[in-house]
Amino acid sequence: MSVEYLVEPDLDFINQVVGLGGDSLKKCFQCATCSVVCPISPENKPFPRKEMIAASWGLKDKLVGNMDIWLCHNCGDCSTLCPRGANPGDVLGAIRSYAISEYATPKKLAQAVNDPKKLPLLIGIPAIIFFVLALITTMFGDNLTALLGELWTHGVDKNIIAHTNFISTWFVDLVFVPLSIWCTVIFALGLKRFLADMYIDAVTQGKVQNPELNIKELLKSVPIVLLRIIKHEKFNECGENQERTTAHMMVLFSFISLLMVTGIFFFVLYLFHIPGPYHQYNPVKILANIAGISLIIGSALLIKNRLAQKDQVSAYKDWYLIGLVLGLGLTGMATEMARLAGSASVCYFTYYIHLIFVFNLIAFLPFSKMAHFVYRTIAMIYAEYAQRQ
Amino acid sequence: MTKDKAAPASGSILVVGGGISGLTTALEAAEVGYEVFLIEKNSYLGGRVSQLNQYFPKLCPPTCGLEINFRRIKDNPRIKVLTLAEVESVEGEPGNYEATIKLSPRYVNENCTCCGECADACETEILNQFNFGMDKTKAAYLPHEMAFPARYIISSVIKGTEDEKRCKDACKYDAIDFSEEPKSISLKVGSVVWATGWEPYDATKIDNLGFGRYKNIITNMMLERLAAPNGPTKGKILRPSDEAEPESIAFVQCAGSRDENHLPYCSYICCMASLKHATYIRERYPDAKVYIYYIDIRSPGYKYEKFYKKIKDDKNVIFIKGKVAEVEENINNGNITVIAENTITGEKTKQVVDMVVLATGMQPTLANAKPDAALKFNDDGFILNDYKKGGMFGAGCANKPADVVSSNQNATGIALKAIQTLVKR
Repeated sequence: MSVEYLVEPDLDFINQVVGLGGDSLKKCFQCATCSVVCPISPENKPFPRKEMIAASWGLKDKLVGNMDIWLCHNCGDCSTLCPRGANPGDVLGAIRSYAISEYATPKKLAQAVNDPKKLPLLIGIPAIIFFVLALITTMFGDNLTALLGELWTHGVDKNIIAHTNFISTWFVDLVFVPLSIWCTVIFALGLKRFLADMYIDAVTQGKVQNPELNIKELLKSVPIVLLRIIKHEKFNECGENQERTTAHMMVLFSFISLLMVTGIFFFVLYLFHIPGPYHQYNPVKILANIAGISLIIGSALLIKNRLAQKDQVSAYKDWYLIGLVLGLGLTGMATEMARLAGSASVCYFTYYIHLIFVFNLIAFLPFSKMAHFVYRTIAMIYAEYAQRQ
Repeated sequence: MTKDKAAPASGSILVVGGGISGLTTALEAAEVGYEVFLIEKNSYLGGRVSQLNQYFPKLCPPTCGLEINFRRIKDNPRIKVLTLAEVESVEGEPGNYEATIKLSPRYVNENCTCCGECADACETEILNQFNFGMDKTKAAYLPHEMAFPARYIISSVIKGTEDEKRCKDACKYDAIDFSEEPKSISLKVGSVVWATGWEPYDATKIDNLGFGRYKNIITNMMLERLAAPNGPTKGKILRPSDEAEPESIAFVQCAGSRDENHLPYCSYICCMASLKHATYIRERYPDAKVYIYYIDIRSPGYKYEKFYKKIKDDKNVIFIKGKVAEVEENINNGNITVIAENTITGEKTKQVVDMVVLATGMQPTLANAKPDAALKFNDDGFILNDYKKGGMFGAGCANKPADVVSSNQNATGIALKAIQTLVKR
């Protein structure tokens, strides 16, 4: 225990964590109530007390690659019982947000996603892109149809209300397919560094018994953890979290469903050349509709819970994400409703807005709070492997 | 001010509370010639100090300091003591106050010789508040052995029952008088000193520490009573569930203190109290283990620091830096597991002990019972002294959490402030 350690405080790190919703961190007086009352904190080197002092001292290295910040599910039990109002739950949330930015490149973009002043830019870029694409589709649609025929239209009648008649499916996919690749690459780059840091931290802090990494054993943890996530087991263990569980489950399952729906329709379109809009009784469409509705309800519940939480801070990063999720659901469903109601102008306008939301979701995924689903999953898998309970 | 050495006849001082601070203020003022009314809501003087087994700085039993004070009161005709008396209201301004005092009946007059016949005759038992309800006493009782004024008191619960007659018949001195009624009196005074003291913080409010749910979790003041020779166990420290001699005891520091959910301030004395309690246990049970869970030990000043050092040298007293945040009870044997993070090693520790003592803090008595008087309080219910305005002052623990030594120093200073109010007129 008496290893010499030179403390090198990173003041900028402290300020950033404060700005990300961890403004109470300096109130902590290290009583360690939080580590004990946390229902999911392990016996050996429990969190979040040690994270609180590390944050307070600006020890960035001990935090960004620390798997424990991701094991926390932010139930707020620690904050409720904290005798100082230091809100460890919020501080850990802020550190997670910092860690996401830390592992994401380019840094400038990560900062922009967490900066409310840059929001017009994040909205403006896709707004301009899709405006131009809509202009091209509507102005030169006939020319392109004449030139490329079925290949261009996918056989969609130009007189019906269909999204492709406003912004061509080709254009949409030409935006989102590269974006998805970019998103994956950034995640891969970030994860590479995160995994290395997490491993070193676990070994030096004695969180893992055997310093040798056993890939086989590690892979065995994957299905266990995935099932745990699907069931929200850890989430449920959190004392003050019961209400959040349902809402979070709805949102998670909606996203999984919508990802599947998008994938299926993508392949159906390009492999079998069957274009949308699809019939309402199509099973995939039914799934899409259910997911869309549950996305709206789930995110509305999340907002309600957040507003009701008196002892939890909600920072910009939280509202950006929840707003994005609710916006996605609302514009998606509204677009469909308007189409079914026969109002082309409303349908196209909401579709345009919807695309801006989708762009924000995918392009900024590795930079926003949404990235938690990747980092937390990885950290949980490693913790399971390390038998950190 | 220097012209007339005698105190003005009109000016008298009302001291509210007969604990160690109130006694000090009253005596200091009276012994330089001022008339003092000392009122106390209990039936006896001495306050919290009288409930202790030993008190700092010299670990004397309370008789040690209190008896000499009682002697001084007896000898001083300028002090009028009213027990079972509470302030209803104080009106007026510095130099000219009118205080309305409510007097509750004792049902025992000054003929009482403390022979104890009434208690022997009485069949009804009531919870002994002096011992925090850990035992019972007869409804006709002497509050405690060294109660001053030395006079029995009868609880109103036996009024109109068979016991009333039994007690009356048993008394040979015609000292029992059930016709007494509550009454209000009015006092004209020049200044008022509020030495209303403190109450142990209600430990049942600290949800996660199990007090009230688990028998073997007690408070530090309860431990004082257990250790006191005139306490419910005659000075034996026994755990409540089975009256066994504990082999291990855990102390939970800052139980409700330095906690925004309870008392946000440091109660000043609980660390020293627990260190003192460690000596109680170690001298009775040479093999017992004492675990002290703390955030940081506060032992202010040279003497207290020395005391802390001495306790630290004891191998059977184990200090764990980390606050207990969870407790569990073994329903089979009543043992308690205290859970904390040892912040030095970074391990969660689970220690099974026979008994747990919560080092609960002090809450000013007035925090929960604000009097009808123009006083200023801080958010926690401590009196804020306005020396510019003068007239009314808080002394001792009504003003801030303190030990006996600083309470006495403070009470002496406040006696001077009360006198200044009178003399300025």
